Amino acid sequence: MNLAGEHLIRSPKLAVWNAINDPEVLREAIPGCQELHKKSETEFDAVVQVKVGPLKANFKGSVRLDDIEKPDRCVIVGEGQGGVAGFAKGNAQVELIESQGATLIRYNVHAAIGGKLAQIGSRVVQGVATRLTLQFFENLVARIEPADARERAEGAA
Amino acid sequence: MIAPGHPRSIGKHVPRREDPYLLRGEGRFLDDIAEPKDTLFLSFAMSPHAHARILAIRTDAARALPGVVDVYTAEDMARLVKPIRTVIEIQGYRASSRTVLAQGEVRFVGEHVAVVVAEDPYIAQDAAELIEVDYEPLPAAVRLEEADSETAPLVHEDIPRNVMFEAAFASPDFQSAFQSAETIVSETFRTGRVAGVPLEPRGCLALLDHVADSLLFYTSTQIPHLARTALSEILDFPEPRIRVVTPEVGGGFGTKAQFYTEEVVTAALALNLRRPIKWVQDRREELLTSIHARDHIYRLEAAIDAQGRIKALRTDLTTNAGAYSSYPFGCTLEATGGARMIVGPYDIRNYAFRTRAIATHTCPSGAYRGVAQPSCFMAIEGLMDRIGRKLGIDPATVRQRNLIRNEQLPYTNVLGVRYDTGSYEECLRRALERIDYWNFRKQQAEARDDDEVLRGIGICCFTEVAGAGSGGWRVRGLTKVPGFDSASIKVEPTGKVTLLVSQAAAGQGHLTTFAQVLADYLGVKVEDVFVSEGDTGTAPYGTNTFASRGAVAAGGAVIKAAQSLRQKIARIAAFLLDVDVERVELTESKAIDKENPEKSVDFRQVAQIAYSMTSVALPQGESFGLEVVEMYDPPLATWPNAVHAVVVAVDRRTAKVSIEKYVVVHDSGRLINPMIVDGQIHGGIVQGIGEALMEQIVYDEDGQMLNANLLDYLMPMALDVPRIDISHIETPSIDALGGFKGVGEGGVIGAVPAVTNAVADALAKTGANINRLPLRPSYLLREMRRQQAGMDGDRQ
Repeated sequence: MNLAGEHLIRSPKLAVWNAINDPEVLREAIPGCQELHKKSETEFDAVVQVKVGPLKANFKGSVRLDDIEKPDRCVIVGEGQGGVAGFAKGNAQVELIESQGATLIRYNVHAAIGGKLAQIGSRVVQGVATRLTLQFFENLVARIEPADARERAEGAA
Repeated sequence: MIAPGHPRSIGKHVPRREDPYLLRGEGRFLDDIAEPKDTLFLSFAMSPHAHARILAIRTDAARALPGVVDVYTAEDMARLVKPIRTVIEIQGYRASSRTVLAQGEVRFVGEHVAVVVAEDPYIAQDAAELIEVDYEPLPAAVRLEEADSETAPLVHEDIPRNVMFEAAFASPDFQSAFQSAETIVSETFRTGRVAGVPLEPRGCLALLDHVADSLLFYTSTQIPHLARTALSEILDFPEPRIRVVTPEVGGGFGTKAQFYTEEVVTAALALNLRRPIKWVQDRREELLTSIHARDHIYRLEAAIDAQGRIKALRTDLTTNAGAYSSYPFGCTLEATGGARMIVGPYDIRNYAFRTRAIATHTCPSGAYRGVAQPSCFMAIEGLMDRIGRKLGIDPATVRQRNLIRNEQLPYTNVLGVRYDTGSYEECLRRALERIDYWNFRKQQAEARDDDEVLRGIGICCFTEVAGAGSGGWRVRGLTKVPGFDSASIKVEPTGKVTLLVSQAAAGQGHLTTFAQVLADYLGVKVEDVFVSEGDTGTAPYGTNTFASRGAVAAGGAVIKAAQSLRQKIARIAAFLLDVDVERVELTESKAIDKENPEKSVDFRQVAQIAYSMTSVALPQGESFGLEVVEMYDPPLATWPNAVHAVVVAVDRRTAKVSIEKYVVVHDSGRLINPMIVDGQIHGGIVQGIGEALMEQIVYDEDGQMLNANLLDYLMPMALDVPRIDISHIETPSIDALGGFKGVGEGGVIGAVPAVTNAVADALAKTGANINRLPLRPSYLLREMRRQQAGMDGDRQ
């Protein structure tokens, strides 16, 4: 499965970069995220509840950031085990482009799914992934835009 | 012999005895059997990987769930049962064995790694979800084209290059005939992987009889006797103490003619835990683990003369065996079947083949209705059309020139197989007439290039290997498949007749047809006969129900048994009537004096004497009772034949295929019940339409099955099925008792090639070469566009 797109966040690049490296922010922004822990500077453990068609499962997984060029780009490599629901693994190339105080996040995801998820969910999984991605960015925006605006307002004051 | 005065039952549309209770919803299928209160239920944990090493299995959480009795892994099961090893005595076969739960390594998605035993089926399923397995994923060999190579990952360490079976043949003059021919026509055909998909998934219920320490095993199978023998050997439990009973079976199609690991696990755990054990699979499990079929590649080359006659034919067949050799037919059935049956009704005197079964990290393949015949006839019939196109001869004419002519029968084909009787020319002649073939061709030629709909006509001439006896199975190395079937007749003290047959129907209407056969051959009223089968506790041993063998093998056994019992009935009747036995004729449950038909005794009077329940003593020298068991071993095979002809319309814009006309001219020898025969043909055609147009099990490149559900595994529905015009020719077999030839698979064998050829014919004017299944709109559109692009390119 491939998923590519971009999303504009009205905050500077560094603020966005810091946000997506902050476990606190990620925990709130990732739809269905139950737990998220930072294992090291570049590794996280997470439990995410996902619902695909008739399947609902907690995916336990790990996420690692590779090829980091702070604050411009990185590759997020992840895999999750959903028990009998199956598994998912993949990577996302993420690029941050700043223009006029806003940041364009451009992403390119390649993922593979297995087990029950593939057997009964492959027809809907792309749609689910697209929706979850959109929701993630909306959550992210909701979290960092006001905070950033507040900081800027405070800074101006 | 049938008594001349007996009103015939064979050949009549006798209503199916099965229909009233099935239509009222009173059929008792596996899951309708009331299980005892202390029954435990199973659920299997399945592999999500096509190929992986099992590093650890943690069952603590599953065991901790209230209601869970135990969890077993491969190590636990190894203490209870032996692996399943499929013995096939044929050169080129590499045997592999399979443990009932995966040991150390998983080889296809859905393979069982552990089993939960719990107090109810829902707890069992919940617990199975709590089993944690650590896997180390390994590279998988999934697609046939990739698994068949030096560098492919191995499915079994001891099977080099994944070749589980290979065989070759060449007739003595093949080389010279092939080389001296004027023209070679060749094509590669690729068929799509499909499954039988019975409405009722598999399941079984194992009960212990504590008094006799025996096992009563209900299972939704087509092979109760073979399953009992296999269970006994694998469980190391005495065969006499196992009774296998098949309840009503909701469709088999060969899917249930295999013996499965879950049956072993269910029986073994019942014996081990000394509790009733039940297991019923769901649809996803059914699609993941019941045998698949038809994942084949045919490479054909025909050396032809200027008239389109095949002078020599070469077949190179590769079949996808899946991860293990299924039991009892193994991985060789499709490979030998496709290579051997492809010569069909054609007079091909020089033939060579190479055939192979390749192991892959996918579900094991097995015997699905038609076995390799839908695909091998798709190949040879597709080649007939290509010969026609190449030489500018109509494809119907090409077939007429190649068919075995009537005067050549009985005919021994290039592989040494005898066709005793047949009607190859007559079937084709009548099919062309009924579909108005030559008029269609005229109209087709007049069709304009801007018509929105492309119409095509497809033909399939074929033979169906049916009713194979012991010789037929030995030839293919299947020495664990006996080949004979049997019948036991009891005229009870009241004069009514019990007929026990060594078959296990899965919808074929045996309770009706075998009553018809017995009625005629014993001279008993059809309503006086009660037929029972599928219970190894009562029915005599036999090969059971698959490969279109019921009518031929068991029908023959019924005839043999009737002939033997009627002697005794006639002797006792002659004594009562005080006439010579030669004067006694049995008809309509009576014995009459042929020379004085007013004088008769009925079966009840004869039976009362035989069972010593009357003042008249049994004649001296007779033994008590009216009972007989006979086994019948049919010939190597019987050879029904047929022609299917189909007109399709393909929407040029959407590539949607609609079937406008469907004609079948069919010859399965003597018909027992034409209505049931038509039903078999209808059902087969529907499955064939599915296989040709839509059905396909899809594995991705990692070996993940992407459509293990009936939303995504597309099957034909009522609206996809056209009106089917069937006419029969009856050329009785002279080699098989009763003249029956069998009919179980003809529908699907004819439909796949005929529909494919019709679509290919419709698209031929666009230049598209259609040689792959299924014929989904996406594939047809791509081929049409590719041609369009090519033509546009040429014009520039």
